[in-house]
Amino acid sequence: MSMHSEHPGERDALREKIIGLGETSLHKSYYPELQSRLAELERFRALLDQTHDAIFLIRAETGRLADVNASAKAYLGYSKKELLATPFADLISPSKQTQFSEFIRDNSNLPSESRQTFTAPLVSRSGTEIPMEITVRSVTFGAEQYVVAVARDITDRLHTERELRIKESALESSTNGILIADLTGAVMYANRSFAVMFGYEREAAIAGRNLEVFFADPTVGEKVTAHLLDNPAIVQETVGLRSNGSPFHIQISGSVVQNDAGQPLCIMLIVMDITERILTEQMKREAYTQLGKNIEQFAILGDHIRNPLQVIVGYAEMIDDPFAEKILEQSRRIDDLVTQLDRGWVDSANVRQFLRRHGDGAKPPGETFFRFSNWKEEDR
Amino acid sequence: MIQRSQLDLRKFVAPEFICGHGALHLAGRYARNFGMKQVLLVTDPGVRAAGWAGAVGESLTEAGVSFTVFDAISANPRSRQVMAGTEAYLAGECNGIVAVGGGSPMDCAKGIGIASSSMRDILTFEGVDRVPVPAPPLICIPTTAGSSADVSQFAIITDEGRKRKIAIVSKTLVPDISLLDPEPLTTMPRELTVDTGMDTLSHAIEAYVSNASSPMTDVHALEAIRLIASALPAAMAEPDDLNLRFSTLLASLHAGLAFSNASLGAVHAMAHSLGGAYDLAHGRCNALLLEHVMAANYDAASGRYDRIGEILGQGRETPAEGAAAFRRSLGITETLAEVGVREDAIPALAAAAYDDPCMVTNPRSLACEEVERIYEYAL
Repeated sequence: MSMHSEHPGERDALREKIIGLGETSLHKSYYPELQSRLAELERFRALLDQTHDAIFLIRAETGRLADVNASAKAYLGYSKKELLATPFADLISPSKQTQFSEFIRDNSNLPSESRQTFTAPLVSRSGTEIPMEITVRSVTFGAEQYVVAVARDITDRLHTERELRIKESALESSTNGILIADLTGAVMYANRSFAVMFGYEREAAIAGRNLEVFFADPTVGEKVTAHLLDNPAIVQETVGLRSNGSPFHIQISGSVVQNDAGQPLCIMLIVMDITERILTEQMKREAYTQLGKNIEQFAILGDHIRNPLQVIVGYAEMIDDPFAEKILEQSRRIDDLVTQLDRGWVDSANVRQFLRRHGDGAKPPGETFFRFSNWKEEDR
Repeated sequence: MIQRSQLDLRKFVAPEFICGHGALHLAGRYARNFGMKQVLLVTDPGVRAAGWAGAVGESLTEAGVSFTVFDAISANPRSRQVMAGTEAYLAGECNGIVAVGGGSPMDCAKGIGIASSSMRDILTFEGVDRVPVPAPPLICIPTTAGSSADVSQFAIITDEGRKRKIAIVSKTLVPDISLLDPEPLTTMPRELTVDTGMDTLSHAIEAYVSNASSPMTDVHALEAIRLIASALPAAMAEPDDLNLRFSTLLASLHAGLAFSNASLGAVHAMAHSLGGAYDLAHGRCNALLLEHVMAANYDAASGRYDRIGEILGQGRETPAEGAAAFRRSLGITETLAEVGVREDAIPALAAAAYDDPCMVTNPRSLACEEVERIYEYAL
């Protein structure tokens, strides 16, 4: 406090303050501070009342409630006066009361900074049981010990957890392999079927690996990821690679998992082992090829039969012999049989065509059409 | 000089106090009544060694009040000591202060109170009415008769950085109750009795001639001068006489009530400057300056000084000479130079004294050069 630069007016003002006549030259009074603290407490009380959690202040010695916030009243449907006349344990579901009392007893000597959590339903005035997670903490005000219990309604959480568990079970029990990876291709989750399909003992051994290790062509994973960033889905057949290095045929169906704002979060691949189908198709293709070859051989065989048969018929017509007619008759029977075989080939070709049209998947690499000499357009 | 009228506005603030033999033992009762659960018992090593802090501690214990002792306090208490006490107060989760000792522990206790309630450094409170949050309840038990910190609105703290004393002036510094017991005075050494007694006399004289004096403060100031003039020499002769010691305690109480409301003057402004620079006993500084300031101020309040001269007697021509004779009779015969003050230090001392808030109520408005001359006379 310097007086060198002070004007006489300021000096007079200083003197007024020294002799107790300044604006704030007041004797010690805690009342303004008390009012300030009370206002602070009221603001704090309003905050506590706004919270969704039910807050209970419990007298440690008697177990009776010393104070509650507005949410406690709202949840339980009691007035504050009613609650303050009730032991807190009476608000706990009867099925958990004994357990809760033991919990409080076991934790009553814990240091004040220690919080313990107990899950139990609270019973409202109407008898409804509200599942609550109750966090308790021991505090001391003055010489009296209290327990602060903050009860959080976990109805929605339990419901959500149940739904999540169902979804998790569904993923886990799917016969298809399911794999979730982040946008860089790092695996976040793989279900048991995926692990089994790719020869891993545990799902956990897969997490963190990159997609590329699951394909015979390491670039497939990157291509799938890139495709999904621009497209909503992909279905592709490719060759997978087991952990022991053996390849197998797979079909992958991929999609992007997005958040509510439509931003991509991760990708999900559903993987099916199609080795059996591919092998079956291959066997079919081979069977058809063999069938074609057989038919072709059969057609050639017909021609090979008819040519000497024509010679036999020619010679038989030229000779005058009572057996000639027998020879011709038998030759015609042979020709009829060959003609029936030709018709059978046409029927076989038609059946093959039908199968092709209706997608049996056994389309041969190259089509071969066989023509017999007496093959007629109407036979087609 | 400020013209005075009995119609001028005046305020009189006094704490609750209990005086008499055994007052000290009521500490526990009042601590409990103030709601104190954990007390910071502020004292100094000398008072603790004399057993008075222990006696107060027993009283607190009997009342069921816990306490922590803080005694790291020197004469002319330092700001660092105040802040150390503040840390002890906060660490001990205290909710009240009991000060046992002379002016140093009591001023330090006041500082601890306001620093802890406002959570600020003590030096930031320098000046008048700069305490926004009241300190926790404070019980003062003086063991000297002179500082009157037990009833005053002042706390004087040494700013070690600037080597000067700062004055914190606020009505909120007035203790909640003071317990005035003559018994602790019996263990005061002779020199301390003299210095604190001269502090009482200086308080009373400066309050009486203050430009803010009032009929109420005049009553207390004159009674203090009368009591100290007779009781102090007698108490020095018979230091174990409780009645004489009680008279000096009453003198200090009257002086405190007077100066806490009328404030002080150039003697204290200059003594604060001296004490800050040379770490001299406050009462001794007052004693060496008093007669010189009285002479310098005489024309501004001659009637009042004459009244003082009449009380001091000593058969001298002027009141200042009367005061000088009184201190010499108590054995204070040295000069400022003899206690180590150098002439070349006077301008700085004068500048600091001129800045002191006590100067505002000096009966005469002194220029800085005039303050220098007073120091020169006292050399």
